[in-house]
Amino acid sequence: MMRTSSWAGVLGALWLSGSAFAHHGWSGYDSERPMTLTGVIRESGYDNPHGYIVLEGDARTWHVVLAPPARMQNRGLPREALAEGAEATVEGHPHRTTPDELRAERITVGGRTVELR
Amino acid sequence: MSAPRGPAWLVWLETTRLAEVMRREPLLFPLVEVVHILGFVLLVGAAVMFDLRLLGLSRRLPVVELARHLLPWARGGLAVVVPSGVLLFLPQALHLGTSPVFGLKLALIVLAGLNSLLFHRGVFRSVQTWNTETVAPPAARVAAGVSLVLWTGVITCGRMLAYL
Repeated sequence: MMRTSSWAGVLGALWLSGSAFAHHGWSGYDSERPMTLTGVIRESGYDNPHGYIVLEGDARTWHVVLAPPARMQNRGLPREALAEGAEATVEGHPHRTTPDELRAERITVGGRTVELR
Repeated sequence: MSAPRGPAWLVWLETTRLAEVMRREPLLFPLVEVVHILGFVLLVGAAVMFDLRLLGLSRRLPVVELARHLLPWARGGLAVVVPSGVLLFLPQALHLGTSPVFGLKLALIVLAGLNSLLFHRGVFRSVQTWNTETVAPPAARVAAGVSLVLWTGVITCGRMLAYL
């Protein structure tokens, strides 16, 4: 009985530290600063380990980090959706140290919104 | 990416046909990741089990027999880890090739290899005198502790690559 509960405790602690860790995985991006960018796709990569688009907005051009291609495929965002010249809106968080880099939580392109996380 | 910039050999690696395939095939990259992890499971799993024995667990098991059983698995793991690691490296050669974390990971692997070499060339030669039911000599226990720390570091670096 004692053993079971202590194992449960260990697993619980691991789970907690795991989710804390997962959070730290995003520490490069400033979660306190949600941003929405709209612009035209100037370049895109349906690439592993992460897809990306270069999004030309009104004032600046952003390098937007997307999800792995397999996930984008599963969520209904095929390679063609990221065509050059298409208008896209992304919501995400800017990188803390790399200027003009944003990690996208979701993308709206071709009238369709896709969750990337 | 538009015209990758950086050291020429990394640019070359990142623009090879194989790198392109790894980047473009949606499921290939994660599948190679699985293979890479399986390789590490074999390699580090075998190393850790042997280290724990040296540190005094399961003293009934003869060290010689355990080494005979585990070493081929560790070698097999290494043989899986290296090529799969190269495949994962290629599409992000510029990023990884200039990453201090990746450099540290490789350095720790080399140190773990040297540690193992020193162990086998050194204290392991006298293994018949501490094969079973006795405490392994300090040099063997130090090697085991160093091995545990190094492999933990390797795995930590490997995982941190995705985040730093």
